[in-house]
Amino acid sequence: MKNLLEFLRHHYHWLIFLFLEAVSLSLLFSYNSYQNSVWFSSANALVGRFYQWTSAVESYFSLTKVNEDLTLRNYYLERQVTQLRRLYGEATQKMDSKEQQGLDSLSRYQLIAAKVVSNELGKMDNMMTIDKGSADGVDVGMGVACGRGVVGVTYLVSDHYSVVIPVLNTHASRISCAIRGYGYFGVLRWYGEDAAYAYVEDIPRHARFKRGDWVETNGYSSIFPPGVLVGQIVEVYNARDGLSYKLKVRLTTDFGNLRDVVVISDRSIAARMRLMQAARDSLKLNVRE
Amino acid sequence: MSADFLKRLGWFALFFLAQVLVLGRIHLFHYATPLLYVYFVAMFPRNHEKWAVLVWSFLLGLLIDVFSNTPGLAAASLTVIAAIQPHYLELYVPRDSADNLKPSLVTLGPVKYAYYIIPIVLVYCLLFYSLEMFTFFNALYWLMCVVGSSLITLVLIFTLEIGRGH
Repeated sequence: MKNLLEFLRHHYHWLIFLFLEAVSLSLLFSYNSYQNSVWFSSANALVGRFYQWTSAVESYFSLTKVNEDLTLRNYYLERQVTQLRRLYGEATQKMDSKEQQGLDSLSRYQLIAAKVVSNELGKMDNMMTIDKGSADGVDVGMGVACGRGVVGVTYLVSDHYSVVIPVLNTHASRISCAIRGYGYFGVLRWYGEDAAYAYVEDIPRHARFKRGDWVETNGYSSIFPPGVLVGQIVEVYNARDGLSYKLKVRLTTDFGNLRDVVVISDRSIAARMRLMQAARDSLKLNVRE
Repeated sequence: MSADFLKRLGWFALFFLAQVLVLGRIHLFHYATPLLYVYFVAMFPRNHEKWAVLVWSFLLGLLIDVFSNTPGLAAASLTVIAAIQPHYLELYVPRDSADNLKPSLVTLGPVKYAYYIIPIVLVYCLLFYSLEMFTFFNALYWLMCVVGSSLITLVLIFTLEIGRGH
């Protein structure tokens, strides 16, 4: 007994070491179940507030560039709208009903403007924090975009902050996208290293397109509406299985310089989920009978 | 005790703020990120209480983790370094030196100090990036991260050491 006490007195720091290591490693490995650790991530209100301060200061340095980008983008969009409106008018005779439909499809998407308060580029699994949360109507699984293209999908939501999994994350949800003007579709993946490029996979072999074509979301999922820019094709590879093409695209979103984003909340999702749930329930009941 | 404690607290805050606000955002060539805070652990004097080294390092690691969305990563790696440091330092202290010798370029001499600090930084970067890439392993990328970050961290540490020596 005395020996044991003596031993502990000399070596108790190793016990402390083991204890601290156990705490760190359990934090490290339980982080995959993010819900438990919302306190240890930057969705935590205190950390969020801190990053808000620093990014409030930092945002002044890039205001000129951001304004330039916005103005350019605005100009481009405005021109596109007038062009499209003219084409639309030429192509359709029944203006009233069609125009009403177009308006309906836009009003489905409610946009929540948010500011990026922390962002990462250099890791395999980058995360981003924005300053809007459930109190502002943000929910888990909503699409996030900026003026220049797609950004990511919300993953964790607290009252006033949300963590977004951006495209630059090897575990990012695979955003469904299509080649503009052709319609062939694939999924967006990222494999680390360069924050300016991502890959579009599962493009069918018979697809026809060329380098420099634009890739945009195709609206098959309810996360992103169709037509949000993703990037421009710079390289075409054969997929490993030889059954499809893999495209290297230059992302239009500049993740290194991201301040203002919008969260796209689809009002029809809730209705769709309810319908789906009702269908599942009724199936279960029928099977039981 | 309190003067020493306050001084250490100052260094703690300095390394934490520097990492979270500036250094953690540097990704030179996509690979090299300065992990300067390991210098905080290397600065502990000879015969400092071992439990105190562990707790200081764990807290610094945890705080940096919380602010960079990597719970447990820096804490786990830095605690390992803190457990090794007191024993490792003994190898390089001259025989007739003070009990509370502070490891630095001046007290150990440039060659011994380099022998002391380079393995510490290398091991730290090795642990850090190995734990980070636990699920997604890309050997070349991992190696570049370890080497790049070690180099840039060492450059910073030697700059600081030379600055403090004068």
